[in-house]
Amino acid sequence: METLQYFGLILVGAALVNNILLTRFIGLCPFFGVSGSMDTAIGMAGAVLFVMTLASTATWVFWNVLLVPLGVGEFLYIPAFILVIAALVQFVEMYMRKASPGLYRALGIYLPLITTNCAVLATATEAVKPGFFKMNLPYQFGFLEAVIYTIGVALGFGFALITFAALRERLEVAPAPEVMRGLPMAFITAGLLSLGYVGLSGLFGI
Amino acid sequence: MREWIAVFRRGLAVDNPLTVLMIGLCATLAVSTKFEGALFMGMAVMFVLTMSSTIIAALRDFIPEKVRIPVFIVVIASFVTIVDLTMHAFIPTVYTFLGVWIPLIVVNCIILGRAEGFAYHNRVHLAVADGLGMGLGFAFVIVLLATIREFVGSGEIVFLGSTLVRLGDWYRGPGIALLFPGAFIIFGFMVAGAKWLNGRLESRRIQAEACATREASA
Repeated sequence: METLQYFGLILVGAALVNNILLTRFIGLCPFFGVSGSMDTAIGMAGAVLFVMTLASTATWVFWNVLLVPLGVGEFLYIPAFILVIAALVQFVEMYMRKASPGLYRALGIYLPLITTNCAVLATATEAVKPGFFKMNLPYQFGFLEAVIYTIGVALGFGFALITFAALRERLEVAPAPEVMRGLPMAFITAGLLSLGYVGLSGLFGI
Repeated sequence: MREWIAVFRRGLAVDNPLTVLMIGLCATLAVSTKFEGALFMGMAVMFVLTMSSTIIAALRDFIPEKVRIPVFIVVIASFVTIVDLTMHAFIPTVYTFLGVWIPLIVVNCIILGRAEGFAYHNRVHLAVADGLGMGLGFAFVIVLLATIREFVGSGEIVFLGSTLVRLGDWYRGPGIALLFPGAFIIFGFMVAGAKWLNGRLESRRIQAEACATREASA
């Protein structure tokens, strides 16, 4: 029970209290880029959940098996992680095209975009590298904790993205001054949405 | 030389990466709570952008088309590592404040976008102009946003431990300006301002052209 509660806290803390988009500003490019319609938002959320989990798993193994024993982690982690993620995304894309064309059609166009999405690199770094993790939990994550944390972050990403896409679809028809139309209005809406998430901080002591 | 200046100026206004192209937003909104953090972030991005553009433009004939993205990323990541270690060594307080955002410069869309969109197809001196111009445009917007947020939110601007400007104790700033929602809202108004300004410039240019053609025909 104790462990279940602990994992639940990590999940909720990562998804809602420390929502990666609205309270920490990581991964905002897709947040404004693909939130134009609900369909693309849902596709992107699914792709991010998939890639982020894989990427964190891969970088966790890479860090603990290769970089730390060799003692090169401190100055090699940036190039190493980004290359691991880029290679992983390429392999996943190739495998998916062969193995499940349906899933490939659904997620395909978002996969290459995700390579340069800061959310994936940030989460992979946070789940792996001690000291980057800003919540009041132990700095060194075990394997399972890292995976749970990543899933939480990805769920929070998807939730915020889909909410925002729904809001923007309604805002398209709102009467607004000419200069505020489009992105300026989207930013202000995001600010109000983020206000709600800020209200959650401190809720679980995380 | 005129071409150089034209490329350099484009990053500042018409193609400003933040307010017009909307790339590299994450870092901007996150680190703009403090003037000094924003200043060093702007300088870091400017350095990485200029250096990586230069290297990529110089090597553009040797980089095969198929593997260009990994090559770009490796070049960018090397310069980011230089910035990361330098800041860690010389300005630890700013480094702690910027935290995860320094390694995240690697995946900052501005840098990869300019490498792919400009540096890979242009000569070295133009790539330098583009890197400097885009970097300066980025730094200008991020520093402006941070100045507004820090001044409105806390009533003072602090730079490396010394207070530059300070309102009296009577000032109770709206704390929201320092929180996350404030960043979105203030930036939204800045984007609207940039849109208005660009629209005016555009209409003035069209008017001037119309005048010129009328005079030419008369």
